[in-house]
Amino acid sequence: MTISTDVANTIVDPKAYADGDRIDEAFAQLRREAPLAVAQPDGFDPFWVVTRHADILEVERQNELFHNGDRATVVTTIEADKKVREMMGGSPHLVRSLVQMDNPDHFAYRKITQGALLPQNLRALEARIREIARGFVDRMAEHGDRCDFARDVAFLYPLHVIMEVLGVPESDEPRMLKLTQELFGNADPDLNRTGKSVTDVGEGVDSIQSVVMDFMMYFNAITEDRRAKPRNDLATLIANGKINGEPMGHLEAMSYYIIAATAGHDTTSSTTAGALWALAENPDQFAKVKADPSLISGLIEESIRWVTPVKHFMRTATADAELAGQKIAKGDWMMLSYPSGNRDEAVFEDPFSFKVDRTPNKHVAFGYGAHICLGQHLARMEMRVLWEELFARLDRVELDGEPTRMVANFVCGPKSVPIRFKMH
Amino acid sequence: MSAEPFKVWQCRTCGYIYDEEQGDPGEGLAPGTRWADIPAGWVCPLCGTPKSDFDMIEL
Repeated sequence: MTISTDVANTIVDPKAYADGDRIDEAFAQLRREAPLAVAQPDGFDPFWVVTRHADILEVERQNELFHNGDRATVVTTIEADKKVREMMGGSPHLVRSLVQMDNPDHFAYRKITQGALLPQNLRALEARIREIARGFVDRMAEHGDRCDFARDVAFLYPLHVIMEVLGVPESDEPRMLKLTQELFGNADPDLNRTGKSVTDVGEGVDSIQSVVMDFMMYFNAITEDRRAKPRNDLATLIANGKINGEPMGHLEAMSYYIIAATAGHDTTSSTTAGALWALAENPDQFAKVKADPSLISGLIEESIRWVTPVKHFMRTATADAELAGQKIAKGDWMMLSYPSGNRDEAVFEDPFSFKVDRTPNKHVAFGYGAHICLGQHLARMEMRVLWEELFARLDRVELDGEPTRMVANFVCGPKSVPIRFKMH
Repeated sequence: MSAEPFKVWQCRTCGYIYDEEQGDPGEGLAPGTRWADIPAGWVCPLCGTPKSDFDMIEL
């Protein structure tokens, strides 16, 4: 079965994700009528669209059968893919991070930082993260009774935490935030480097490449510093990390920093902003979590499901396979749609309602299998600490205008969440 | 009730922690459920890693 061109174009359209309803409707239609089918949007190679929760788990679980790195890991036009391959000596990737790797490399590279991000090792950071969270709550209070929660709190707090963990000085945080937004917001004229809608594919790829180069120049200096003077930070682990006894390759090291310095805060920021947006729209849910702070863990899982900041990853079949009764051929490209899996009516009762006490809540926002998000425990801890600190002082919150979302189809979430609030 | 101290197990892939004392009621594992009593076919609730790929850890 083939997906209609209209729907196929919608699921790759950055503006549909900014709209919210338009993308939800497209995926709801696919789950009803064509839950696993081939799409071919204009200008793209065909790919399977995996919309059901169970099928996403099935693909992610089999990471030898469905590879990350064989083709682009993000849905890409034919023209952009060609340009990237020309630039990168045939590789479809501008960077080579854990996201673009398969085993044995993926396992070896993941091990370099995994220990530092395990729950038992993150506990040592909690007191410092609480101090940072309190500082942001104080700053929010200083705004009086109105602020843009996305820009004034949610974008800055996870940024500050990950940059401390990584070892980037506070003075460079605005630069890291700008580069991250330029990378993930490449299709958004409010955020990208050109300041205009990107219609020319070559210009779009060049723009992303120039952001990547800026990141690399910055982290080159960090690498040299940490090799000479190791510290207790993530940058030191990356700079001195060895693969099979040898220092990791330059592209791999730079890509490692880039993923930590971008995905390490942007996804948590989006979820945090989206959570307060949802609470402002659902005062009964805010009252519930205020009355019973033990629901904060439920709020966190529900907001991760609700926002699902990573919209998709692509996989490539390494052999002929069968999935949900369909024949997948070796080399087929597959889009794992996480927002769709997280609205799957077969798994989530009333999936379009925001419920802080949703149980169970087995969302797929962090992925599943070997590629599951390395920073998930840090993200949960950051959000828990912020909500504990904020809800102890926040009496009331409501929207103060229309929130907006980023124009993007890969990693994105709220761009602005204007609120009116009362704190004590 | 066994007098054996409760132990803690961790998934090698994602870091999920199973503490025998707390169990994981959301997964149908009551507090006090011993690792040995969890079926061999059980998988990590976060990432799907098999039970055999967990390590016992000290917290």
